[in-house]
Amino acid sequence: MTHLLPRSLVGQLLLLVALMLMLAQGVNSFLLYRGAQNQNLVESSTAAVSRVAFGLDRQASDRPERRNGGMRARRWGRLKFGPDSAVTDTMPRLPELEMRAGQAFANMGIGFSEIRVTFTSDLPTAMTGHLIGANRGEWRNNPINRSMGGRPAPTGTRGFVIISAQQADGRWVSIASVVRQRTPMLVRTLLFQTITIYLLMLIPLILLGRYISRPLKSLTARAHAFQPGETEELPEQGPPDTRELIRAFNAMSSRVSHMVNEKDVMLGAIGHDLRTPLAALRVRVESVEDDIERERMIAGIEDIDHMLDDILSLARLGRSGEQADPVDIRSLIETIVDEFTDLGHEVHYQRGEKQSAMVRETLIRRALRNLIGNAILYGSSAHISVEKSGDRLLIHVNDNGPGIAEAKIESMFEPFLRGEGSRNRATGGSGLGLTLARAIARDHGGDIILKNREKGGLRATLALPLG
Amino acid sequence: MAHKIHILLVDDEASLREPLADYLIRQGYKVQQASDASIARSLLNAYDFDIILLDIMMPGEDGLSLCRFVTDKTEIPVIFISAKTEETERIIGLELGADDYITKPFSPRELVARIKVVLRRAEKGGGRQVATSGGGYLFSGWTLRCDKRSLVDSDGVAISLSTGEYQMLLALVSRAGKVLNRDQLLDITQGREAHAFDRAVDNQISRLRRKIEADPKNPEIIKTVWGGGYLLAGEVKSL
Repeated sequence: MTHLLPRSLVGQLLLLVALMLMLAQGVNSFLLYRGAQNQNLVESSTAAVSRVAFGLDRQASDRPERRNGGMRARRWGRLKFGPDSAVTDTMPRLPELEMRAGQAFANMGIGFSEIRVTFTSDLPTAMTGHLIGANRGEWRNNPINRSMGGRPAPTGTRGFVIISAQQADGRWVSIASVVRQRTPMLVRTLLFQTITIYLLMLIPLILLGRYISRPLKSLTARAHAFQPGETEELPEQGPPDTRELIRAFNAMSSRVSHMVNEKDVMLGAIGHDLRTPLAALRVRVESVEDDIERERMIAGIEDIDHMLDDILSLARLGRSGEQADPVDIRSLIETIVDEFTDLGHEVHYQRGEKQSAMVRETLIRRALRNLIGNAILYGSSAHISVEKSGDRLLIHVNDNGPGIAEAKIESMFEPFLRGEGSRNRATGGSGLGLTLARAIARDHGGDIILKNREKGGLRATLALPLG
Repeated sequence: MAHKIHILLVDDEASLREPLADYLIRQGYKVQQASDASIARSLLNAYDFDIILLDIMMPGEDGLSLCRFVTDKTEIPVIFISAKTEETERIIGLELGADDYITKPFSPRELVARIKVVLRRAEKGGGRQVATSGGGYLFSGWTLRCDKRSLVDSDGVAISLSTGEYQMLLALVSRAGKVLNRDQLLDITQGREAHAFDRAVDNQISRLRRKIEADPKNPEIIKTVWGGGYLLAGEVKSL
């Protein structure tokens, strides 16, 4: 469901405004509709009041031959006089109209002891022939309508208002009046209005949306592509809130760059300046008489050297002077595998097809060397295979070691952390191997993925983008 | 009594220079020490040296400039001693005329071994390893670039080579058409890397073939000569 909704800021804004506009128009129309209905009622009850006043006036002028007959009276509908009210007690009353009618009669100097007004959708039999506005030929002359008692409203009629007033002598005078339906095409009008207003609002809305969202978009792109050391600032644009955000982002990225730079310079200096005293130590160690002791010292110095190597590489990463070139990955793997084979390790590689990728060769060699080194360290042998998956090249390094607890896999990439049970230095390695391998892979737009194999052992995958 | 090999050791770090000099003296060499390039120059005027061990990064005139001076004016072989950085790797890639290099921290025994190899090569009159800078070779659809130490195929895709493989290929390509026996190949390529000592020439050749031959079992580029050794067949163009 959610995927049907627009994802962009402008899209959501437009949708929201459309919905709110529709709602507002709906409420508006409902109120209009109610008003129109009420207006119709008032109109027909006013006609009824006039008819009553007129009729009583005629009666008072005492021209009996025309009292209940005559063309006009017939057209207008005859007043109904009787001992009972046409508006029975069971009918719903309309107090507001009763009040209006009372005032109207009072204004004309006619006094009633009681006035009843009701609205009904079917005309009661008793009121047949006492109806105003029923003079439309087809309805009046229709035999069915004539014969029928309670009659349904003709088309365009919503129902009838019946006014019944009690005269001073206790008799009731009653008249019914047609209430017309005068609220057609409401939905169409609503839609038309809404769309017109919406279209008018659309242009400024889109402009506003772009004004807000464009700087955000470029900020997002910049944040995604952020590389420490970038000096170019993102131009401040958009509304003040966004400008403030961009300003904050610029300040933050310059702080990050500064910190990363400081760290790299520091690491580089440490790595470099430690080499000379280390070299001096290495020379002096040769004069140690005890062979075993000397070999241990040499191994210790070599450990430190490897660690420095890794630290330096990590520090230099991302500012490497080496260009990415198309390199044949098969031969690269062979070169590394040969290195390990020459040192007497068991590394298998099923030679596949030639496959080139854009890489910085010395770095990728290093990453691969670290992965294979780990496989040998923890699993005694390594099996390498290459797989093409979409736009990525996957280099799998499988071992037959104990694997890693799922929960710990991500933490394996943290610097100076080793796999469980091998925390002692005897296993060798700098503790930076995976950290460096991942940093190198990510520097290439790829990644390192660790996964326990179903048949046991670990699979370390170096994923590289192709093309 | 045999002539004592005379070594000039140039390094600004006394903490390394002094114990190293002591070690070399104990190994039977005669050693003069210089803490910067100007002292080294005056010592060069005063004595006849057999070999120079030179630190690249020194205050004042650096090792590279001194090396250029030495290789231009004299026949004395030079071994660079350097902390491994990207910069030195690149410079060494350019082969500015040094005969070998070793990175700190190094095994003094390995240094001595390399001194011996370099001296033996100089003595044989082989001179320096192919002095190339920025050049390269075109052969059988391949381009061997010396500046980047890389082998590129006709599509511009680089083939990864180990240092030993690169040296071996360079030796064969630069002497194309000539039969080189195993001893000659070892001599030319050795000393560049510690591993090269252990590696059989045949092994290197078969690895090279696997990488550059269309069918490694029937090699068309690197041919085996019966009883002799190997030769690089086909036309070679110098760049």
